[in-house]
Amino acid sequence: METARTAAASTLSYAIDIGFLDPKKVEFYKTPGGFTGLRYAGNDYKRVTLRRALPIKHPMEYISVADQENKEIGMIRSLYELSEKQFSIAMAELDSRYYSPVVCEVKSVKDKLGYVYMELVIERDGARHVKNCAVKDVNKNIRMLDEDRLAIFDVDGNRYVIQSLNKLDKKSLKRLEPYLF
Amino acid sequence: MLKSHEFSYDLDLTMQPANGILRFNETGTIESCIGDKAFLTLTADEVAEVLVIPGVGCGLICARLNDGSEVLLCRFTMSCMKEAGEFCKVVNYYIKTREYAAPEKKEKPVCEKCGRHFVGELTVCVFCYNKIGVIKRALGLMRPFAGKIIPAELFITLSSVLYLLVPLFSRKIIDDYLRPMKGTFQQILLLAAAMFLARAIGELIFILSSRVFNKGSILFANHLRNLAYEKIQKLSLNSLSKRTPGDLIRRVMEDTTVVKEFISDGGRWAMEQMILFVVVFVILIVTNFQLTLLVFLPVPVVCLALSRFWRFIHIRYERQWRKNSKCQAILHDIIKGIRTVKSFGKEEMEIKKFSDATRELAQVSSDNEVMWAKLFPLMTFLTGIGEFLVLYFGGYKILNGALSFGVLVQFSMYITYIYAPLRWFVSFPRWLADAMTSMVKIFEILDEDIEIKSVTEPKNVPIAGKVTFEGVSFGYKSYEPVLKDINIEIKPGEMIGIVGRSGAGKSTMINLLMRLYDPNQGRICINGVDIREMDPEHLHESIGVVFQDTFLFAGSIYDNIAYAKPDATVEEVIAAAKAANAHDFIMKTADGYNTLIGENGYSISGGERQRIAIARAIIKNPSILILDEATSSLDVETESIIQDSLNRIVKGRTTIAIAHRLSTLRNADRLFVIDDGRIAESGTHLELMKKKGIYYRLVMAQRQTSKLKEIS
Ligand SMILES: Nc1ncnc2c1ncn2[C@@H]1O[C@H](COP(=O)(O)OP(=O)(O)O)[C@@H](O)[C@H]1O
Ligand SMILES: [Mg+2]
Repeated sequence: METARTAAASTLSYAIDIGFLDPKKVEFYKTPGGFTGLRYAGNDYKRVTLRRALPIKHPMEYISVADQENKEIGMIRSLYELSEKQFSIAMAELDSRYYSPVVCEVKSVKDKLGYVYMELVIERDGARHVKNCAVKDVNKNIRMLDEDRLAIFDVDGNRYVIQSLNKLDKKSLKRLEPYLF
Repeated sequence: MLKSHEFSYDLDLTMQPANGILRFNETGTIESCIGDKAFLTLTADEVAEVLVIPGVGCGLICARLNDGSEVLLCRFTMSCMKEAGEFCKVVNYYIKTREYAAPEKKEKPVCEKCGRHFVGELTVCVFCYNKIGVIKRALGLMRPFAGKIIPAELFITLSSVLYLLVPLFSRKIIDDYLRPMKGTFQQILLLAAAMFLARAIGELIFILSSRVFNKGSILFANHLRNLAYEKIQKLSLNSLSKRTPGDLIRRVMEDTTVVKEFISDGGRWAMEQMILFVVVFVILIVTNFQLTLLVFLPVPVVCLALSRFWRFIHIRYERQWRKNSKCQAILHDIIKGIRTVKSFGKEEMEIKKFSDATRELAQVSSDNEVMWAKLFPLMTFLTGIGEFLVLYFGGYKILNGALSFGVLVQFSMYITYIYAPLRWFVSFPRWLADAMTSMVKIFEILDEDIEIKSVTEPKNVPIAGKVTFEGVSFGYKSYEPVLKDINIEIKPGEMIGIVGRSGAGKSTMINLLMRLYDPNQGRICINGVDIREMDPEHLHESIGVVFQDTFLFAGSIYDNIAYAKPDATVEEVIAAAKAANAHDFIMKTADGYNTLIGENGYSISGGERQRIAIARAIIKNPSILILDEATSSLDVETESIIQDSLNRIVKGRTTIAIAHRLSTLRNADRLFVIDDGRIAESGTHLELMKKKGIYYRLVMAQRQTSKLKEIS
């Protein structure tokens, strides 16, 4: 059964070219304007965007590279196939496209008629910032990414991540508890 | 002092939180600073365009320079997205026109005072609004009904007070007649009768007055509902499109119901209990001061405990409720998609999904039951605390001879009046808050400005002349332009076809022409007059439109066709139906034109639906006819039949047709090809075919697929 499926899948991937880029020939670079460019197969793309196909399950694999017009140039099967230098430029670009600050404390949670208002403390470089956010549809917008990781999506479209519920302090956990399940 | 537009952003270039400002002033300088340091300066002369590039959870503004290179101006979180779009608009406008135009102040979706988001589609903050003002206004609206409501309420309270007499009688029986063992049978009978009477009269008054009361509150709710409904009818389409239909319906129906229920249940009950509380308090104080203090001593503690208790319970039950709705959603999905499930042979998987969900629900429910069983006695215990105290100290005093037995009985009877309501009193604030929010929502609708501009001096030119789009740009979201700088002119009587990929913005052009939305830039004119200066009603009377997703009202086919022209004659309705090729299928139904359609009526197919919609659009003989994929659900044959009759109708009328099947548009006078929000090509079918551009490719692609169909 399993082999049959992989066989079928591989015939499909033969029939349809996913267009993986050759990790050896990929050459990302920083542009003077502050963006990431790409030299590949004789082409020079002045600004590329990296997008994760499976941001939750496979954040480091299946990365789509798109040009200025958002047209896909190709996909990178795994970032680990890149050289160290290429890897770090690619990671920097991904980090600036996917912004989900890590929450280290939940200061308050107030429920008002279908909206949940939260004060979240995010920590970056040792400095703590308090973020006010409002969450609608708690069922959908406060959800577990895996066993222990929690994501909060607010009404503006910001996303916050709690890396480990187990490691969160007792008080914060107690405030969040009613909305977890 | 230079005029400038500022955009405050909140991330630095390395994605760390920061306070930055992107400034654009009227001399055309763009400056990006973090703290006081400007780390980047550009002039508008160098820049071709600035644009927002959305990321995931964040975004950035990028300046495309004249030499084609690009510069990163700033990064920000999604909280700044709207303002970023505004900023780009200001700069791009300057680049195009060399004019500095400050943007109009837009209402922010957050509260100025506390920075919190508004609930739902409210534009006031549920934390900071003027609560007293809302109550005052609600009371003001209730005034016409006060004549019913207030006396009824008073009588209801009176009936409860009559109940309160019962313990007094008990005390008298015990202290004066029973304890001394010297009362006569008559005396006891008299008192018992008085007790009975007090109860009976109380009950009677209650029944009568609560009827009056309910009637009053229903009238009040209807009054509110009518006010809101009338207002919605008067609002211009533009301000209506700010809210979803669901929201408006909820405001008219649900919110008025919430307010009504609050008045007839919660509010009334609270007032009654308050009065009772005071009365009991006074009676108790007069009877025995010390014992009264004892009774009231635990009240604050009990209140606190109860409110904690409720919070705890509430959270648990809400969780159960959510699990339950998840189960229902799964079930709903499976039943609706049963064909798909079966055809993929996935029944097992779906069964497992559902049974997992129900198992979880069962677990939560049983946990809750257990918890409730444990906690309920505790609650009873809490509300019974006063009784313990009274019995203990009262009994102690009786033994010392400092208190009569009757007084003790009276006290323990009154205690229930004090403690039992506490259970519910603690949830009263929530109740009140819900009612207030509903009230605020209703007031918002009542306060909405009817757009005066469209009403005061409407220039109602006959909608027959040429239609022009002049530099029209538009986006549903400020940072995602859908239409960019559209310039077209449509001559009277012309038949125009609009083609383009799905999502290109074709329907959006129609929405703008119908004034369901106003353009962000540029204007749309008919006969040289901006449609914003016309009476919307006048505009809609003269345009017949068949939308992509047609909506038919519940009612007969006849009513639906005659909807646009209620005074239409039967002949007109039949003629319209014939023109739309709907007549034949209508005649096949048993009830003909009287066939009921909609929710509970005869179910009609997508194609039939569209034909009725076409009939509805043409019956009022509009001078402009808009067909937005009006024939897309029809088979080729039916379409060509309708097309023939449409061709007859279309003659002499300005027609704008959007069609998926390009062959439908072959006899259009001119075609516009929309690509990426711009007019990419225009001309007749032949011209465009010769050009071998986008249109040519679309036609070729369609021929290919239709050939494939023919073969198979
Ligand atoms: N009410 C809306 N709110 C937000 N975006 C919309 C809305 N209607 C359409 N859009 C978006 O605008 C774009 C153009 O849509 P539309 O004009 O309906 O395209 P079409 O050419 O297929 O008729 C699409 O990307 C669509 O997602
Ligand atoms: Mg459309």
